[in-house]
Amino acid sequence: MSLTTEIREPNAATDLKQPDMSRARATSWSLWTRQTLAIMRLEIKKNFLSRRALLLYLMAGLPLVLLSALALFPPPNDELENFSELSQVYAAIYGGLILRTLVFFGCAWVFMNLFRGEVVDRSLHYYFLAPVRREVLVVGKYLSGLIATVLLFSITTVGSVVILYFWRFPTESARYFFDGAGASQMLAYLGVTILACIGYGAVFLIVGLFFRNPIIPALLLYGWEWINFLLPPFLKKISVIHYLQSLVPVPMSEGPFAVLVEPTPAWISVPSLLLFTGIVLFLASLHIRRMEISYAGD
Amino acid sequence: MAVYEHLYGAYEGESHSAWSRFLVIPRYALRETFKSKLFTTIFILCFIYPLVAAILVYLHHNVNALALLQINVRELLPIDASFFLTFVQVQSAFAFILTVLVAPPLISRDLSNNALPLYLCRPLSRAEYVLGKMAVLVFLLSLITWIPGLLIFFFQASLAGLAWLWANLWMIQAIFSGSMVWIIMLSLLALAVSSLVKWRVVASGALLGLFFVPTAFGQIINELFLTRNGHLISLWATMKNVWSGLFGLFVRKTGEIRGRVTTPIYDNELVDIALLEPPLWASWLTIALICAVCVWLLARKVRAYEVIK
Repeated sequence: MSLTTEIREPNAATDLKQPDMSRARATSWSLWTRQTLAIMRLEIKKNFLSRRALLLYLMAGLPLVLLSALALFPPPNDELENFSELSQVYAAIYGGLILRTLVFFGCAWVFMNLFRGEVVDRSLHYYFLAPVRREVLVVGKYLSGLIATVLLFSITTVGSVVILYFWRFPTESARYFFDGAGASQMLAYLGVTILACIGYGAVFLIVGLFFRNPIIPALLLYGWEWINFLLPPFLKKISVIHYLQSLVPVPMSEGPFAVLVEPTPAWISVPSLLLFTGIVLFLASLHIRRMEISYAGD
Repeated sequence: MAVYEHLYGAYEGESHSAWSRFLVIPRYALRETFKSKLFTTIFILCFIYPLVAAILVYLHHNVNALALLQINVRELLPIDASFFLTFVQVQSAFAFILTVLVAPPLISRDLSNNALPLYLCRPLSRAEYVLGKMAVLVFLLSLITWIPGLLIFFFQASLAGLAWLWANLWMIQAIFSGSMVWIIMLSLLALAVSSLVKWRVVASGALLGLFFVPTAFGQIINELFLTRNGHLISLWATMKNVWSGLFGLFVRKTGEIRGRVTTPIYDNELVDIALLEPPLWASWLTIALICAVCVWLLARKVRAYEVIK
């Protein structure tokens, strides 16, 4: 395994009689980077090629199948006959299906299995026995999950837009996307998908680390995110979906019972989510340093 | 005692009758289940709604209590079919949560530890093994669904009198069969997932996904295709229709929308399109199909040995 070949450098660094601190630090960083990349390579293979990935592919493919069916068998709906209404239709599909359900469950599936999956496979000790800092392991695994989910759900997001617009209105769509506001709207949706993967990924990584049975926290989180529209303004901010919805280019009505609040501006939403992710990864790193493996009961 | 001094001894304990052998499995599984504090807490929480329902029934018939609380009897929920329908729906939602907690390790643990041969080398058939595992869920879920439902029904009957009981006797069947259909479907689905996925966490996740993802997908289908047939792929919506049917509250037409229609009669004209729920037979058929697929999966996966190439 490539991990074993990477052990030697820290020893070399510590063996220096007169340690040059800045050089040693630079060596450590380059070592950690290479180790992170090595872990990522291993994990990306697992995320994309294992049997567990099948469910992820299925989830990512659902909207594409649905929108292809919509294009092939158009319903008697005025909204779908009118090009200007398509942005509202997409907003409903994106908000109701892609963001709140598929990205949520996709991230839960991938990120909770990063550590919990190793425990149930009884293989986490191989990583713990390797001369790799556990923080590096957390970062490597998180990044691998992020690459898998971002890649798949970005394809879902962009693919859905393309199928919905171009299948039925190719000329108008080409004008809308290449000369109009379409491209920026699509990029905004793509950005929201990526941020959702970053935010939910961090949450589920830590849930998978802290809880032996992470299903109940996941269920509670799903409920919390779903009732977000009913929550008072202060509580709304303690959720990922609030920040994501603030960034969506076409806002959707949340119904008559929704508690209306001003959307959080992008310059607060994006750094908040990134800061939250950073804090969660830091906590995960602290936790994993003291983590002892017990395979019993899993 | 040295090992060689151990001699074969025939079983001297009490022997079980052939039909009740499968009950050994739930006995041990239930003991294991109640060791979990989380499960016990959630199980207790499942009785909050029945308690509230019982209090509502009591308030309806207690003038003193109503006067004390300064509530008009008309402000309280009526105790009728819709009251018991809501009761079944709420308790069934709790039943799902309990299933997600209890069911995943039931078969997956035996499969991942290669313990199935140990069960099946005893006088226990594969069907009895599955029945035993199912009995765990049926017992637990019955305790929170139809048993309290019937208790509240008889509580109301005892307070309202014989006339009310005779007029609403049919509801006993609705409460019982509505709950049992949900329990059997949940149990089969959970056991099938548990037999397919050998890991508890993954099985729980799959069960949650099977429940929530088709629900959202069905909802989007309904919105886009101006239909309500998307409910057929949502377990919860299908069951809601079945429950409504059993309680005599099923309404097919749930809305109306204006859409453009091109048919031999209408040429791209705007007309009112009625949004019709799928017929009841379609909902029953969906449930039967789900159960049949689960039974087939269980028959395939629950085997004493497995040939691995």
